Amino acid sequence: MKLEGRWKLFGIVFLVIYLLFSLVPIAWVVISSFKTHYQTLIMPPKLFFKPTVTAYKNVFLGGMGKVFLNSTKVAVIDIFAAMVFGIPAAYSLARFKSGVTENIGFWLLSLRMAPAFGVVIPVYILMRRFHLLDTTVAVNAAHLLINIPFAVWLLKSYIEEIPVEIEESALVDGATRFQTLVHIILPVSMPMVVTVAILIFIFSWNELFFAFVLTSSEGMTVPVLVASLAGSMTFNWPLLCAISVCSMVPAFVFAFVVQRHIVRGLTLGAIR
Amino acid sequence: MRKTSLWEKDKYRFLIPTVLVCALLVSFPFVYMLYTSTQYWIALRPERSFAGLGNYRSVLLSTEFRQSLLTTVIFVISSVAGSIVLGFALALVLNEKFRGRNVIRALLTIPAIIPPAAAGFTWKFLLNRDVGLIGGFFLPLLGVKRALLGDPGWALFSVILADVWCQTPLMFLILLAGLQAIPMELFDAARIDGAGFGQVLVRIIIPLLKRVLGLAVIIRFIFAFTTFDVIFTMTGGGPGIATQTLPLLGWKTGFLYYDLGQAAALAVVMLLITVFFSSTLVRMVKL
Repeated sequence: MKLEGRWKLFGIVFLVIYLLFSLVPIAWVVISSFKTHYQTLIMPPKLFFKPTVTAYKNVFLGGMGKVFLNSTKVAVIDIFAAMVFGIPAAYSLARFKSGVTENIGFWLLSLRMAPAFGVVIPVYILMRRFHLLDTTVAVNAAHLLINIPFAVWLLKSYIEEIPVEIEESALVDGATRFQTLVHIILPVSMPMVVTVAILIFIFSWNELFFAFVLTSSEGMTVPVLVASLAGSMTFNWPLLCAISVCSMVPAFVFAFVVQRHIVRGLTLGAIR
Repeated sequence: MRKTSLWEKDKYRFLIPTVLVCALLVSFPFVYMLYTSTQYWIALRPERSFAGLGNYRSVLLSTEFRQSLLTTVIFVISSVAGSIVLGFALALVLNEKFRGRNVIRALLTIPAIIPPAAAGFTWKFLLNRDVGLIGGFFLPLLGVKRALLGDPGWALFSVILADVWCQTPLMFLILLAGLQAIPMELFDAARIDGAGFGQVLVRIIIPLLKRVLGLAVIIRFIFAFTTFDVIFTMTGGGPGIATQTLPLLGWKTGFLYYDLGQAAALAVVMLLITVFFSSTLVRMVKL
């Protein structure tokens, strides 16, 4: 549909204003991360200044590299674990339909509606009992709680659309169910598997609450570091900005890739 | 019949992982949450006792709960309305074909996929009176020189603004997907009949998008109702309890005061509210 006349003008003005609203905050943090502490205090801000990477050096030489390593580890292990459990479950839900399996799907979803501070209580108690508090294992387990149902549901909706006939011919030829899953369904589902993997990475990388409750120093992830520094009386602004910018890097990388899939991911397949 | 037997083969072996996943991941946390909510249970202390509905009574009757509920209602309504209206407007504009559309779409997506904690920091930094572009530069130009996050009213407004900033892109992408599913012919037909954009919007687009809009509102409601990261990073619920929504109250109860029983009870109450509102909305838009 074409916007015309004054509607077109409204549209352009609105878009420009919104783009500024959307991007200036991030740009401001990025710019400030290249300043010295003294430069951040200069108001009105100077357009031109001598950029420095001191803040970034401090992030990675100041022992904070480990936090980024933790976050990466949690996200990557989560992707693999969610796939190993999620793919067979999604397959069976998609192919063996019955009243029971339909309800299981709903139950998987309902976990996403529960407030995190309620769900985290059993996890917290379990992890304390097994002395796993403040480890990345605890964070991994907590994130899987959300990510497995998420992977199952999205993959299920995708596998349902794959025609059953291509599987049947393989089964008639004597392939086992497992073989059809690995050799036929999995290759066809690859686009969705990649999408789910990226969305899991983003979720896991961004997640604050579970990680915040379950870790305090050794197992700390990036959002926990950001939140605890932002809440403290640390006024090393360039350092805080540099950490935030580093935490945003996956978003910058994936922004072009995910925009098509994020809708499907968030509406859990209801809109694609 | 050959087909059935072929399908039935292996059926149960494949359902085992599913059943396990459900039992372990879904039922366990729920059952345990319900159980905890009926216990007087302070973490780190060994003793606990049956409370019945005692925790629910303490939670629901406390003035802090009522205050937080009010804050949550204000937060949820403003944030949902703000992001849906802005997202819808963006979707309408970016449904047009023009050069650079995909780049703009990707750029607009960024605030939604950065860590919400980083988004919270970004706005806290931006509004800061000493170093922020808004709080330290623009507002003083307008003659306002105050710590926005230190003032109860402004702090609530600020966290809503930051949440709208994070969540609008998702609404925009969902509504854009909905818009793109509307067949072009409908617009052409309306145009030939001489309908202006305003009429097309009210008579064609909104009725056809009802289902997608309903879905967007439900998702957005659930997200807003359980928002923690942005608020926690920006204000931690303060000043005082001015920005303390129910999730922050729940965190405070469970992991600052270590009252697991009351935290679980609050979680159950919130879950009931979520389910009630979602199912009402589902019925209203007949999803």
